[in-house]
Amino acid sequence: MSDRAENTLLVLPGLLLLALAFFVPITQMLVLSVSGENGPTLDHFTRFLGDPYYLNVLWRTVRLSLIITVICAAVGFPLAYIMARVGPRLRLWLIVLVILPLMTSVVVRTFGWMVLLSRSGLVPQVLRDLGLAERNFSIMQTELAIVIGMVQVLLPFMTLSILGVVTRIDRRLEEAARTMGCSFMQTLRTVVLPLAVPGIVAGSLLVFTLSASSFVTPNLLGGSRIQVLAASIYRSVTQTLDWPFAAAQAVILFAGILLILVPYARLAGGRSNG
Amino acid sequence: MVKAISTPLRIAVVIFVVLTAIFLLAPLVVVVGVSLSESQFIAFPPSSLSLRWYEQVLSSDSYVSAAWISLRVAILVTLTATLVGGAAAIAIHRRKLPFSGALATFFLSPLVLPTIIYAIGMLMLWSAVFGPVSIVTLWLSHTVITIPYVVRTTLAVLSESNPFLEEAAQTMGANRLQRLWLVVVPQCRPGLVAGAFFAFNISFDEAVLALFLRKPGLTTLPVQIYGQLEFSPDPSVAAVSTIMIGLTIALILIIDRLLGVQKFASS
Repeated sequence: MSDRAENTLLVLPGLLLLALAFFVPITQMLVLSVSGENGPTLDHFTRFLGDPYYLNVLWRTVRLSLIITVICAAVGFPLAYIMARVGPRLRLWLIVLVILPLMTSVVVRTFGWMVLLSRSGLVPQVLRDLGLAERNFSIMQTELAIVIGMVQVLLPFMTLSILGVVTRIDRRLEEAARTMGCSFMQTLRTVVLPLAVPGIVAGSLLVFTLSASSFVTPNLLGGSRIQVLAASIYRSVTQTLDWPFAAAQAVILFAGILLILVPYARLAGGRSNG
Repeated sequence: MVKAISTPLRIAVVIFVVLTAIFLLAPLVVVVGVSLSESQFIAFPPSSLSLRWYEQVLSSDSYVSAAWISLRVAILVTLTATLVGGAAAIAIHRRKLPFSGALATFFLSPLVLPTIIYAIGMLMLWSAVFGPVSIVTLWLSHTVITIPYVVRTTLAVLSESNPFLEEAAQTMGANRLQRLWLVVVPQCRPGLVAGAFFAFNISFDEAVLALFLRKPGLTTLPVQIYGQLEFSPDPSVAAVSTIMIGLTIALILIIDRLLGVQKFASS
């Protein structure tokens, strides 16, 4: 047996599995999204893009995903920097703090938020006691609930992406900046932040994609009235059983993600090189 | 550090970390709290404690059978993803096949595509070719989404391994199978172990594919919980969720023993 044959044998099962159980299904979905009763058609796309209801769903998905991504980056960057600069013991605890939620099922975490945010839950109760909210105040079934839940779900991804980059930053750069008279915040802004950009970009791409395509948390926290695109896809598949329309929505979702992410990655990538 | 960080800043850092910790852990703590409640209704903090919801969960057919399905799928997925992904990573690492770079991208591609898009495709294809979904559908699709993790962790370990060991074994007369099994696989072991844990954890907790590829009698634990939450949550959901959190903690402890959590987190 030659080297070539051995390596081919090793790679073949995975190659076949991914080809048949990953690429064929996606092709099937793409085909279905343009198939009508009388041959190929773009009807499902025009139906989506011509209906204000669905355009609103699309806009809400993009808007919420952007907000969630920005909040995750704003919290994830300082958290990752602190994790990289504390002592090893504390770092271990902080990593567990990030990994424990990450490895817990999204369904379980969303349930926790349902309890916390419901009308009788802890968060509205505290706000009422502080006189910050009215008696009937509830956060459930609002976009705010979706944002809170999704940030908790996705913050670990952002933090770990940034942490991977920040730990590789040479500490002597920061020390040099401090010796030259920079304050701590100036050092953070002019030395650490620019060097952490690749991590922030990678984390943002991940968080935006996951956020735009998730429906479990938005469905449970936002309810059926506040629909996002992924929830609408789920409903088309399981309730209205309109599979070609579901496929078209999935294509729109992925196209939308690429449309926003590719220019962003270009822009940020160009800046971090320069 | 050249200059010490000022005290106000230090306090701000502590407050920030504590608030983030509360934010990240609050939903988990609340779930555990609710599960220990005596009350019929979901309430946090619980007014009086009891373990009756655990009793109810353990004697509930729907939860036990869902847990059994989740466990079976997760174990099957862990075995196949580690085997198939590990083998592929070894071959990709050797760079002796044409298009090695493209191969690596190919094997990592399921990471890029949102799971919901893949889930629709899988459901549509399976229904068109084989009819109703089965545990095999779930097994295959979970294997597909976990293979990239195994490939990535194994490639990372191999890239730091000594490339001459295999050659040395060859010079000493080891045949192909011996070289693979006695030299290369042991080198890969930390990567394979990390990948296996990823695979198990992802498959056991995954809800998107499991929601699309379900039918009566094929409900995983996360899907069962989701159904209860949509419909009529009572503290028994919290008890099941707490058991799942317990399993996650156990998994983290084992990972820390075997690999160290920090190493795992950085992969």
